[in-house]
Amino acid sequence: MKKIIFSFVVLGFILVSCNQEKKETTPTSVEPTVTTEPAPEVVTTSPLVTDVPVSSATTENTTGENADKVATAEKFSIQQIVNNYLSVKNALAKDNASGAAKASKTLYASFKATDANALVGKNKKTFVEIAEVAKEHAEHIGDNGNNIDHQREHFVMLSNDMNDLIKTFGSTAKLYQDFCPMYDNGKGAYWISESKEIKNPYYGASMSTCGSVKKTY
Amino acid sequence: MKRWLKRIGIILLIILVAIQFYQPDRNTETGLSASMKIESLYNVPTSVKNILQNSCYDCHSNNTNYPWYANLQPIRYFLDGHIREAKQELNFDEWGSYSGRMQVSKLDRITKQVENGEMPLASYTLINRDATLSDTEKKELINWINAIKLKDE
Repeated sequence: MKKIIFSFVVLGFILVSCNQEKKETTPTSVEPTVTTEPAPEVVTTSPLVTDVPVSSATTENTTGENADKVATAEKFSIQQIVNNYLSVKNALAKDNASGAAKASKTLYASFKATDANALVGKNKKTFVEIAEVAKEHAEHIGDNGNNIDHQREHFVMLSNDMNDLIKTFGSTAKLYQDFCPMYDNGKGAYWISESKEIKNPYYGASMSTCGSVKKTY
Repeated sequence: MKRWLKRIGIILLIILVAIQFYQPDRNTETGLSASMKIESLYNVPTSVKNILQNSCYDCHSNNTNYPWYANLQPIRYFLDGHIREAKQELNFDEWGSYSGRMQVSKLDRITKQVENGEMPLASYTLINRDATLSDTEKKELINWINAIKLKDE
């Protein structure tokens, strides 16, 4: 009888510790809306664009191309996303994994908060497609505050996504595309920076100046 | 002291028996979305198919090959948690539903995870010995991934 009880208790401990391991390494919830800080549910204008007079473009998008461009300029902005990305980049450059995780959760939230309904047609499709993937990377970076290597792996692809976003939607601030030729077994990796100075997010303090500016946005 | 232990033991036993009655739906195919499967969309050599089948599909597809102990709770509960999270990250049977960009991203992630040895999960290969990937198998899988990546890009 004692042996049976003892083995159940041991079984209980094993199973509980298995559950703990699972929670540490993987996202704990299925729905993305639950894992991060509450983001505004329905936002018709991007958070950064305030006090913009409502023009006719916002109510009638009868023609594709022109209304497309006007809608983009007036209501839609990726600036918040870009700023949050830069925070992640700066944290990684300082080898601050937990800071990067925190900034990445904010980035994730800003992706969710940016309303693609302000766009139409191809632009909308492009944004939605990029956001879908970038969000996953932001999520992973956010969930791995104790594993900077894993964060940096995702940061490579996140940076590529950001590059595509900026190419399509532009940036109000000046940005630089930097390239580190050594990272990822010599395959190299890009990142985007707000300053000309090279502060490598892939190597942090160990090789902070490795890399060069490839282009300006 | 002994009596308390005995009582706790009995309560645990009762709980253990009670949770056996909670048996949610299994992760098994309904056979509807065959066109979305990665094997329908690319040329997958048999050796790679075997790798995917033995080391990946139990968690990353719509069809899990449940072992006998999956009938037991709370083992089943933890298994289902793993499967749910795994499918959310990557589901080979829904590959066709991913955008081109997403596919490239996932292929990249698979490569890295396999190279690192993070996948298949150690807790999985501990029990499923044949799921462990040899160096040859890893290379084979990654070579195949690189080949289809070119197609996607």
